[in-house]
Amino acid sequence: MNSSVTQSPAMAGRYIVLALIAALALVPFLAPKYMVNLLTEILIFGLLAASLDLVLGYTGLASLGHAAFFGAGAYTVGILAVKGHCTSVLAAVPAALLVSMVLALIVGFFSLRTSGIYFLMITLAFGQMLFALVHKWTELSGGSDGCSLGKRPIIQLLSPYLTVDFSDYRHFYLVVLVTVLLAFVALRGVVKLPLGQVAVGIRENELRVRFMGFNTFAYKLAMFVISGCFAGLAGILYMYFNAFISPEELSWVMSGKVLVMVILGGVGTVYGSVLGAGTLLLMENWLSSYTERWLLILGSIFVFFVLFAPEGLVGVFRGAAARWGRK
Amino acid sequence: MSELTPYLSPFLSGLAYSMLLFLVAAGLSVIFGLMNVANLAHGTFYMIGGYIGYSVVRYTGNFWLGLLVAPVVVAAIGLALEMATLRPLYKRGHLLQVLLTFGFVFIGLDLVKWIWGSDVHSIDPPAILAWSVEIAGQGFPVYRLFLIGFGLLMAIGLWFLLERSSVGAIVRSGVSDKEMAQGLGINIPAVFSCTFGLGAGLAAAGGVLAAPVLGLFPGIDFDILIVTLVVVVVGGMGTFRGCFWGSLLIGQLDTFGKVFFPRFSLFLIYLAMAVILVIKPSGLFGVEEQ
Amino acid sequence: MLRPKLMRIMVAVITVMVAGLVAVSIASAADKPPLKIGILVPYSKVFAVLGESITYGAELFFDQVGWQAGGRKIELIKEDTEANPATGLRKARKLVDQDKVDATLGVVSTAVLYAIRDYMHDAKSILMVATAGGVDLSRSKRSPYIFRAAYSNWQLNYPMGKWYAENVGKKVFLLGSDYAAGREHLDSFKESFLKAGGEILGEALPPLGNNDFGPYLSKITEAKAPGVFCFFAGSDAVRFVKQFVEYGLKGKVVLAGAGFMLEEDVLPAQGEAALGGISSLNYAYTLDNPENKAFKEAYIAKFKQEPNLYSVYGYDSARALVEAINKINGKTEDKEQFIKALEGVKFASPRGPFSFDPVSHHVINNVYVRKVEQVEGKLHNVVIHNFGPIVDRSE
Repeated sequence: MNSSVTQSPAMAGRYIVLALIAALALVPFLAPKYMVNLLTEILIFGLLAASLDLVLGYTGLASLGHAAFFGAGAYTVGILAVKGHCTSVLAAVPAALLVSMVLALIVGFFSLRTSGIYFLMITLAFGQMLFALVHKWTELSGGSDGCSLGKRPIIQLLSPYLTVDFSDYRHFYLVVLVTVLLAFVALRGVVKLPLGQVAVGIRENELRVRFMGFNTFAYKLAMFVISGCFAGLAGILYMYFNAFISPEELSWVMSGKVLVMVILGGVGTVYGSVLGAGTLLLMENWLSSYTERWLLILGSIFVFFVLFAPEGLVGVFRGAAARWGRK
Repeated sequence: MSELTPYLSPFLSGLAYSMLLFLVAAGLSVIFGLMNVANLAHGTFYMIGGYIGYSVVRYTGNFWLGLLVAPVVVAAIGLALEMATLRPLYKRGHLLQVLLTFGFVFIGLDLVKWIWGSDVHSIDPPAILAWSVEIAGQGFPVYRLFLIGFGLLMAIGLWFLLERSSVGAIVRSGVSDKEMAQGLGINIPAVFSCTFGLGAGLAAAGGVLAAPVLGLFPGIDFDILIVTLVVVVVGGMGTFRGCFWGSLLIGQLDTFGKVFFPRFSLFLIYLAMAVILVIKPSGLFGVEEQ
Repeated sequence: MLRPKLMRIMVAVITVMVAGLVAVSIASAADKPPLKIGILVPYSKVFAVLGESITYGAELFFDQVGWQAGGRKIELIKEDTEANPATGLRKARKLVDQDKVDATLGVVSTAVLYAIRDYMHDAKSILMVATAGGVDLSRSKRSPYIFRAAYSNWQLNYPMGKWYAENVGKKVFLLGSDYAAGREHLDSFKESFLKAGGEILGEALPPLGNNDFGPYLSKITEAKAPGVFCFFAGSDAVRFVKQFVEYGLKGKVVLAGAGFMLEEDVLPAQGEAALGGISSLNYAYTLDNPENKAFKEAYIAKFKQEPNLYSVYGYDSARALVEAINKINGKTEDKEQFIKALEGVKFASPRGPFSFDPVSHHVINNVYVRKVEQVEGKLHNVVIHNFGPIVDRSE
């Protein structure tokens, strides 16, 4: 085997990733405000989709209730600010992550006894229960009118040299970029850990893994809680982004959208989630600005995808790569 | 008797609602249970059926004609869609089916809006059923009583079809053991297609029957889908008894919950589903997966 | 992993995409003379009809002034909020940051309104609210840049409470959809009803999108209520009113509520069931003033359908914006002057006299009690009482 051929694809991949990151980092200095904000949103949803991919692509569990952990993170930040009169990021972030993880623990504990369509449905049920709770408990959550954050935080890092103002769209974009990149590194780390390897094994053949002596329930639960943590992180970022959260962001329609993002991007690829999130958000956004028939077009795109590109966008790239390589 | 009167009206309303749910859930249960297909577009069949019924009634003035035409048309659409798009996906797992049927949901939603507009439409019940009868000191619409009766009739008919006829035997054999049934020479793909069509037709019938009670507007597809999913999962997928009793349970729970526990009304049916799934993951009458 | 040739192609594609994105945004960010007005309403899902009607009403007015205001040509940019707060905020950002609109018109859902309120305020971008009725916008969530040409949940129901106690009866059963707006409507009615010596026999809050009102209707009978006051809108209104008749309450119990339950958008689906229903609103289709007559004629001629309440809101919103922009000669960059001009807007609308409260920026208009009757073979609302101009209580 020609060693230069085997080495260069891996190196090439690394260079591409670095180039992309550099491009993304330059965006706030080159692109107009609207584009920066759109990218911020794509990154946040990419993180949410990636968190779902952790249980879907790597553990083989399709959850239709992931918006619950996302919403829990966002609402915790909001409720702390509005009811608890606490706007400190240092307090809000850990609290929100804790809430999401505890929620994931509870939901996972009850749901992971099932699998397949039943798992899909029971996660849907839990998601809807949280939605109903938030919708009805107006005194706590603001009910159907939603929860406004009010002022966004300003953090002093290495003060007084570095001030990060969350309400400045450029600062916030960079905060999100750094957070999401770190999160992705962490997610890849989880996948490479023994925990992740066992999870993949569970996805392939749970019975065999169980016969090997592993407590598959514990492993699935661990992955689910980690996933919930990252979903909650996305929720926190989202709350700081919009300064507003409403029960809609917890609904099963939202969970469905996230699932579609993962499928579009390619199940089982961490970076595919960002592609999927970006594709769905951009399509929805652009289409609805140009035509009233955007739902029709979007639905047709889904159908087209399923029939002709079932591996998702990453699959499209890989397929193209394979075809070019055969030359 | 007077102690029961506050419960009588909700009970009857709940029963009527249960029968509507049963019609739509029956199709979904077979599709999920027999074909193991995640079909999120089932609510769309219900909605389109309702709208087609509306148009037929508007142009002919005949409710029964609408009730006949809509299911047939929608069954044909379902059959065609299944053969063209779903069949290649059976081996590929649920996720792609989710994405595909999601696509159909969006397409259906927009088509309905395009053709019939976004207003709330309604079908008037047929004249012979458009009156009220006095029950326990209050009026109760006869149309609802008709729904209860019709639903029970359909339940008996479907039960007969599934449990007592050779057609039903074929379908049931497909549920328990696909490979074996195919080995016996049964044309499983054809059975699947027809079953899918039948399920879609049932949902459409539900749409027409529900229209005088629930109205028609783009969005009823989501509403009914989520509730029937709950019914099917609670009752147990692919089992007739599960579907029937699941509908009754959820219908009554929903109705009584709204009246007597208003703070928890949105919550209750999901709580019930979660509780049942925790205790018996395959649903009340479901068969445990090996 | 990836062959070097493909790698080069991918890098090229990504570079082109990024460059293209940047180029497009720079191009569209260039300053243009036309007057850009954003219409931010739902065009899909549940509230689609409202979004459409608001748009038609606005377009009708722009038509009538030749699509000119302050010497500049009017350009409409329509965006679909889907009545979803997150989407609404995203579209608001697009209108303000990318399209650089001079003003925005619209918003149907109060949740969307609250979602974009802080953003519009911080961006100092003028918003003319054409439906969303959440009371906080006139009070704690006020902003100098946000005006409301439609109504507030309080404004419509507060005068009705006292009137109901004096003209219908001192006992009532309340019903409303269980969400923020539903509760605000009922609470406003309660306030004045109780002050006028009324007694509330019971209250029931069916969930939003409820299908079966039977159980709630039996509660009304149980409480022996002589009348009801309700808030329902859209499909809930259709179902409730029809079932009100089906369950035999018509004729025994007075049917009253906030105007949305019996407005022209739901009357066709309700049919005869709605006859005789009383409601409070700041408009009625049959209002007998020259502006309403002209408005209806023009609307029907242009769109081949009858206008409804939301068409009027869209029409008035457009008019308020245009009159203000005319006053400042199209110099919309001067926000102080723009706001002053808007505050001074005063005209005769199809709904009656129209002006803004300088403190809350909320519309001052008449509120009417209407009754559903047969008018020339169709069901319409006829005015049976006029409360005169009602100011939303500004604290």
